[in-house]
Amino acid sequence: MRLTFSDQVEAFRAEFLSWLAANRPSQAEMDAEPSVSSAHSPAWARAWTRRMFDAGWLVPGWPPERGGRNAGPVEQLVYLEELSKAGVPRTTNPQGLGIIAPSILDFGTEAQIRDYAMPVLRGERTACLGMSEPGAGSDLAGLSTKAVRDGDRFIVNGQKVWTSGANYAEFCFLFCRTDPSAPKHKGISILLVEMDTPGITVRPLPEIVGPATPDLNEVFLTDVEVPAENLVGQLNNGWAMANGSLAHERGMVWLSGVLQLEMMWERLHHEAPAMLDRLDGLERGAVLDRMMRVYTDVQAARCLGYRGFARLVKGGTAPEQALMKAFASESERELAAVASEASGAAAITGAGPKADEELGGWMARYFGTFRSTISAGSSEIQRNIISEKVLGLPRS
Amino acid sequence: MELELTDEQQELRDNVRGALERFCPPATVRRMFEGDGAEQAAVAAEVWKQITSLDWPGVAIDEAHGGLGLSFVELALVAEELGRAVAPGPFLATVTQFAPMVQSVGDDAACARFLAPVAAGSLTGTVAFAEGDRWEPAAVRTTASRSGNGWVLSGTKSSVVDGSTAEEIVVIARAEGTSGADGLGVFVVPGADVAATVRPGLDPTIAVADLTLTGVAVPSDRVLAAPGSPEVGARVERAWHQATVALAFATTGACRRLFEETLQYAKDRVQYDRPIGSFQALKHRFADWYLSVERATALCYFAALTIAEDDPRRAEGASLAKAAAGDCQRLSAQEGLQLHGGIGYTWEHDVHFLLKRAKVGDALLGTAITHRARLARLLGLAPEVAA
Repeated sequence: MRLTFSDQVEAFRAEFLSWLAANRPSQAEMDAEPSVSSAHSPAWARAWTRRMFDAGWLVPGWPPERGGRNAGPVEQLVYLEELSKAGVPRTTNPQGLGIIAPSILDFGTEAQIRDYAMPVLRGERTACLGMSEPGAGSDLAGLSTKAVRDGDRFIVNGQKVWTSGANYAEFCFLFCRTDPSAPKHKGISILLVEMDTPGITVRPLPEIVGPATPDLNEVFLTDVEVPAENLVGQLNNGWAMANGSLAHERGMVWLSGVLQLEMMWERLHHEAPAMLDRLDGLERGAVLDRMMRVYTDVQAARCLGYRGFARLVKGGTAPEQALMKAFASESERELAAVASEASGAAAITGAGPKADEELGGWMARYFGTFRSTISAGSSEIQRNIISEKVLGLPRS
Repeated sequence: MELELTDEQQELRDNVRGALERFCPPATVRRMFEGDGAEQAAVAAEVWKQITSLDWPGVAIDEAHGGLGLSFVELALVAEELGRAVAPGPFLATVTQFAPMVQSVGDDAACARFLAPVAAGSLTGTVAFAEGDRWEPAAVRTTASRSGNGWVLSGTKSSVVDGSTAEEIVVIARAEGTSGADGLGVFVVPGADVAATVRPGLDPTIAVADLTLTGVAVPSDRVLAAPGSPEVGARVERAWHQATVALAFATTGACRRLFEETLQYAKDRVQYDRPIGSFQALKHRFADWYLSVERATALCYFAALTIAEDDPRRAEGASLAKAAAGDCQRLSAQEGLQLHGGIGYTWEHDVHFLLKRAKVGDALLGTAITHRARLARLLGLAPEVAA
């Protein structure tokens, strides 16, 4: 047990900080053309991704030819923390960099790696994940978008929903049913689909806050023709790959939730004196008790994430990490709720465009936190997973 | 930050747990709950004898004074296991309160005089700090008045663990006319010199008493720090971080065991032809409870590290850990009882030992509410306590 990192890791941090200072996009540059969707990569973002790739700072844990520098897991964690502290996004296409490119590198053909994965790493292409459907949310294996083999191509018909970034992405990592007779999770395949293929219609889904810049979309596919060589990995093996790809960087997935929570706390801590000043003594006590409970959660989230991480690095298991997604996202929700309530009428100010969400009122921020508690495995599903897989309680 | 135990720490924890399973099983704890005063004293003495034979009292005492010279982390792990076992006896007060206070405030002579016998298992002690059940310098009104070469102490102390049985008592008092952290003095008083009123509690394994000091004379060689000595307030606080975090560990240890046993009960107990733990409502409650236990444990580990490494965040760490342990006991005691159904409500079942130990752990040394208030002050969001 130790509070500080090793000298080697600190040297790594110093090296990164120095490179970052010299090569990062400026705040002015980022503000001039903000990214408004999770597949929207403005020019500065593409250039930034390319700079990181060339310098081996894109995915430090990977080898240099993949944009890394063979760094260890602790170093990778420190790198992510420093980026967050500097307020510089690692990417404006998180699904592309974090899930899609790694999956193609793991399971794809040389051609797929050349045409889809490497361009994402170089900042040349962005991608979206086609998974959820109106009838397949928590029960993703129930998806029904069909892909039927016809000669040298697949014909795809169906509909996706909640597709982040589909309104900007250049291609889609599409989960579809290729064997309707098999049990649900055994008949799923993954296709790489160019978003400009005829038959694809994208309909943005404005969100309850920031409706002017939607990130979520419906994607309708009508007789869409996809070359057969765009099948990723084995036919009907999509589910297994998804659990592999969605498990990518699972050892570190908790970190982004923690960093987001900490950023939110910093904002609240900064605004708290003004909030408290408005209140009388009794109100102040009540508000401070709730704020300090939130603060305890923020510190606990960091410590709990680190606790399991040390074991994972050593090749062990960290079952308590299953708690992190629900814990971090719900703590964020409670933080925004406390901040809203402590702000009184000042909280009702809404948020404008997505890029301004951080500057919007606490009430808008509160609604925004539901994006985290609902998606990527809702809090309710997380509790099923925790109670069954970690605690061993029998299935209902 | 690496918040995982080393192999040696893991081994220490396993050894302590195994030993306690042998000499302090639930049957022993039941003797504390059901015995009269004489039986309780005998049980506590038996357990202490085993503990001293294993050198646990000296775990974090310097090797120069006959201890094992390990860090606060190891001490905290022992405290956690003792909480899990609901073990009676002088360990909590002697090793997590008395010894750290002597170490933090006393000079070499005092350490040699008082720490060596603690390490050897031949001395028990405690600290009389709180007044009006507030464990903070501003609450101290017990006075220390100059008398020849020594001092005379007068006042009352509340909720002193082992207040009526400890052989030596560290008393925190203040020079007349001072307030807050100023003017504090720290004295070691023989237990026999103090009038103690036992406060019988829900958990007989933690004995608590209120003390009255009426003109208790303290010779100069029993003064750990005279009032007005530099940094007395800070030294007292530093020692009290250890007491606070150790109690947080003990409380969390009891809560974790409560969680584990209740989880097993939910897997074993069949109703409507299925284990009750298969009902989703209970599954989700267990998931929430698991979070509460892990949340408290993670913060306890962090707090222990801030003490072991003397990190500037130690005051905050102590309050984070104690607050989280307090939140944990609230859920643990509630779910531990409720999810056991009717049998949990019986004296005959062992679960109430853990329930009561969990609750007492929050009540002493500042509740979660108190420690959240302390955090607010540490973060600069509220003014310091008025003197």
